[in-house]
Amino acid sequence: MRSLTRIWALAAKEVRHVLRDPRSLYLALGMPVVMLLLFGYGVSFDLDGLPLAFVDLDQSQTSRELRQRFTSGPEFVDGGLIDEDEAEGRLVSGRAMAVIVIEHGFERHLRRGEDAHLQVLIDGSDNNGATQTRAKTEMMGRIFGFQAATRVVSASGSAIEARTWTRFNPESRSAVFLVPGITAYVLAIVAVLLTALTVAREWERGSMAQLFATPVGRLEIVIGKLIPYMVVGTLAVLLVLGVGMWVFDMPFRGSPLALAVLSVLFLAGMLGQGLFISVLTRNQMVATQAATMSSMLPSMLLSGFVFPIENMPQVLQYITVVVPARYFVEGLRGVLLRGNGLEELWPNALALLAFALLMMVLSTARFRRTIA
Amino acid sequence: MTDHVIEVRDLRKEFGAFVAVRDVSFHVERGEIFGYLGANGAGKSTTIRMLCGLMAPSGGAATVAGHDVGRDPMKVKSSIGYMSQKFSLYRDLVAEHNLEFFGGIYGLRGKTLSRAIDAAVERTGLAPHRKAMTGSLPGGIRQRLALACSILHSPEIVFLDEPTAGVDPAARRDFWRLIRELSSAGTTVFVTTHYMDEAEYCARIGLMVDGALVALDTPRHLKEKYVPGVTLAVSGRDLHRAIAAAAALPGVIAAEPFGARVHVRFEEGRVDEAAVRALFSREGRVDRVETIEASLEDVFLAVVGAGEKKEDAA
Repeated sequence: MRSLTRIWALAAKEVRHVLRDPRSLYLALGMPVVMLLLFGYGVSFDLDGLPLAFVDLDQSQTSRELRQRFTSGPEFVDGGLIDEDEAEGRLVSGRAMAVIVIEHGFERHLRRGEDAHLQVLIDGSDNNGATQTRAKTEMMGRIFGFQAATRVVSASGSAIEARTWTRFNPESRSAVFLVPGITAYVLAIVAVLLTALTVAREWERGSMAQLFATPVGRLEIVIGKLIPYMVVGTLAVLLVLGVGMWVFDMPFRGSPLALAVLSVLFLAGMLGQGLFISVLTRNQMVATQAATMSSMLPSMLLSGFVFPIENMPQVLQYITVVVPARYFVEGLRGVLLRGNGLEELWPNALALLAFALLMMVLSTARFRRTIA
Repeated sequence: MTDHVIEVRDLRKEFGAFVAVRDVSFHVERGEIFGYLGANGAGKSTTIRMLCGLMAPSGGAATVAGHDVGRDPMKVKSSIGYMSQKFSLYRDLVAEHNLEFFGGIYGLRGKTLSRAIDAAVERTGLAPHRKAMTGSLPGGIRQRLALACSILHSPEIVFLDEPTAGVDPAARRDFWRLIRELSSAGTTVFVTTHYMDEAEYCARIGLMVDGALVALDTPRHLKEKYVPGVTLAVSGRDLHRAIAAAAALPGVIAAEPFGARVHVRFEEGRVDEAAVRALFSREGRVDRVETIEASLEDVFLAVVGAGEKKEDAA
């Protein structure tokens, strides 16, 4: 009972600090939304209007059809017909993302059901764009080939038709893919920063020493500090997801319970990490830097937010095992896009719980040493 | 049997090779104002921190309000109030919210809490400042607020570590009036200070030098023991020329310049005012000679001087 009174007193005091200086509140609620909008609009991995130049050595009906087909979608625009020796210059000057060379005899080969060749020269200086351009042109080339071949084959009775169907994000929109990552990213930064600052401030101002002279326990301090920021963090989650759904048409297909469990556990872990940092540093300046670095970099680079974990070098893949954002990003994508519930995501919840507990234990243990 | 609310036996604190508190023993009686004096770094704050359960002793034992400070620091913390050297309330909260917070931390809530706050506010005269932002309060009032926060739970003992450091003289006087009121209401007050005039208010005083408790008694007894004899203060001009001669007079214990004046201390009956006046008049002009009472400052200097001499001998 007394313990509850003490935790309540600590939490109430924290709320008063925040209300007195609402800048941390703006930071906690404003920054995620601003970043979501910036990233959502600014960072797009979608191909959009990239110029394709064509070298048509075949000069046939089919080659003209191919050129028209390649540039009819939103991804590419027709960069015009050029001579073979101009191709290099187009790429160097950046006037073409890729040059498609249609071989002499293209139409004839297709008609006869032989191998027909396309040469695709891609500007590789933008790695992501190059990868996607390659995938897209390959696919379009294959489909074109199939369809051309089908026309030949259908005369003799059989037909092959390829239809791809991308599940869960049918338009392959970057924003939908990014929102879960951004949510994890901004929450990590804000949560770690918030607690790192408030606890370090107590050390700096000497009020922590005063607290130690009272019967309040370390765990009570830890919990009392976390509760208010937990509430702020939860609001931030709701806000970010709300904006994601409203502005970027983010779907919400899975279980709200799973979302709640994952978010609360992730927040607890991040707040705990901030607490641990400030117990170690006891200095607002150092705590700020440590908090930013330790939350921003892993949740950006190692969470699967930007770079797929499966594509990372083996060593990095092992490191991501201890990055909580990884489990949260994965979990969010599961809940929002794939319609998962806790049946599928319990391992993620478990990993987040483990991290949160570890942080709590570490911070409480470090507190002890400082008193003795 | 007398009621010892603090009992300290051979208390010791080492930081590596450095001994901050050297086997200190004493006791404090219930309701007494106990002063703990010493230069900076003499071990006052370390002692207070051990007694408040903030720091575990390296050796010896101490019980505070019946609880062992090493084994039961939490129980100690519940029965005491502590006001640290550095002002450590929250400046960005209004005075009343600081009180509510510390009341809550001591486990008070609801009606009990608001009654305790009213009582503490009344006692410390903070009523006009209840709604004021703590950071904007002047130093003296802030100290009173810190005191109010530490007595909300009616502790048996209040530990005040340099409570008046950096506070103006009028506010210091007010603060000491509060301390005396607390004590007469039955609260034991353990206070460290380096203002010797404040120490006069204490019932008993412990003097620390280099981690050791070298003297402990009432201010009066300390003066009789360490500054015996009669002290005359001579004022006038060119008195310094006769200091050496005065010190050489048989029966004179010490002759020292003290501000613009010279203090001559001698064994009672062996020298008199006329002799001192005559001696100084030979070299300069004597305006006034008066008998003064020894101050705790004299005691402090005598004790510290003795400590230094001992060190020289060793």
